[in-house]
Amino acid sequence: MQIHIDRAGGQIAMSGEFTFTDHIPFKEMVTEIFAAPGRAVVIDLSKLDFIDSAGLGMLLLARDEAKKSHRELILRHPIGQVKRMFTVTRFNTLFKVEE
Amino acid sequence: MFGWKQSSAAAAKPPNPEPPAAPAPEAQRKQDELMRRWIAFAGMQQRVIRTLVGEIQQTSAIVETEADSLSSRFQRLAVCAEQQTQRVESLSRLAIGIEVDGEAVGIDRIAGLLEETLSDVVEKILLLSKDAMSMVYALSELNANVNRVDSCMEELNKINKVTNMLALNARIEAERAGTAGAAFRVVAGEVRELSGATQRLSVDMDTELKAVTEGIANGHATLQRVATVDMSKNLMARDRLEVLMNALIQRSGNLTDVVGEAMKEAEVISADVAGMVTGIQFQDRTRQRLEHVVDTLHVVDQALDELKTTTADALDGPVLETPGDNEWVKTMLDRFTLGDLRARFVAQILEGGKPVDHRDDVAAPSETGTVELF
Repeated sequence: MQIHIDRAGGQIAMSGEFTFTDHIPFKEMVTEIFAAPGRAVVIDLSKLDFIDSAGLGMLLLARDEAKKSHRELILRHPIGQVKRMFTVTRFNTLFKVEE
Repeated sequence: MFGWKQSSAAAAKPPNPEPPAAPAPEAQRKQDELMRRWIAFAGMQQRVIRTLVGEIQQTSAIVETEADSLSSRFQRLAVCAEQQTQRVESLSRLAIGIEVDGEAVGIDRIAGLLEETLSDVVEKILLLSKDAMSMVYALSELNANVNRVDSCMEELNKINKVTNMLALNARIEAERAGTAGAAFRVVAGEVRELSGATQRLSVDMDTELKAVTEGIANGHATLQRVATVDMSKNLMARDRLEVLMNALIQRSGNLTDVVGEAMKEAEVISADVAGMVTGIQFQDRTRQRLEHVVDTLHVVDQALDELKTTTADALDGPVLETPGDNEWVKTMLDRFTLGDLRARFVAQILEGGKPVDHRDDVAAPSETGTVELF
């Protein structure tokens, strides 16, 4: 998985496949982005092709971090398998998911 | 019975005392001839009437036998229709759902229960994934802490080595100072002792720390194996099951509609058959009407018989039928299209045969029924 962080805009763009092996860079990214000031954090998923259950778990941990920091975590434009996984797990009831 | 003789007698004895003028011989002969022709015609009429009576009785018997047979068949059909309605009703219950422990559970309720269970499973998988990743993060933090402790231990070892070196140097300097350095020698020995104890403690701590590091590494590896089990396919199973359940609900709905229509049609068929069973009872009225017709024809036959006898008595000589008198009968018979009917009429009317009772022939109606084609 590749991660591109826009610190000023509070935006993260993820691409490729988001699996267990990405837990270290993802945690670093989460720590870094929530340390910076701002209100909402947007994760752009329009180029993310695949997510497994570990990836979903990491997004839920990121949501907990956002709550601790009184920030909002927005998941933007999921596609393909990622979108289907969000539908099956009803992620839209846990996150703000923008189509 | 009909008073023909009295009327004839009355006509023979008019109240007028003056006798009528006698008819001329030619006129009397013509009158007698006409009377003979009338008697012959009456005889023919009687044979026609008797033949008709025979046909009516035979037809009545056929109608009654066939109607009874039809009624029996319709009653069997009514029973079958009723059973069919019950089967369709049973099928209707089967289409709606399944029976569990004597309780009917609808397909939509099964789908609801399955959806509820799957939602629970999905929720558990998400919670498990989140907790597993949380532990991975915690173990990573712990590993970092252990690494920092390990760095501290290395620093401690360095300090200990310096302390040990200092103690050794102090001991050398104390030996050089001789008796003056005796007290210093004791302190140097104690410092060296302390350095040795610190060294032993450091080794023990290093051993324990390695065990902790190894434990964390094993735990991390185990957790990694758990966390990398991809549950996404299990999550997607819900997606597939939802599609299947929707298809099942759709099929159940269609089946219910079809069975509902079949149920309505079965009820209509049952009602129609019941109506037909009632309607087929017409043969009783038909038989009674035909009996009245036959009775009337018998009366006409008797009247003709009496009038014919009375008329014949008034004539001199026998009454003979002439071939010309039968022409109208032959013309009538030519119009008959049923071969056996025509044969019976010819035998009974023209050839003077007796009416034959054919009712036994129709006692057992044919299963398929026969129709004479023209």
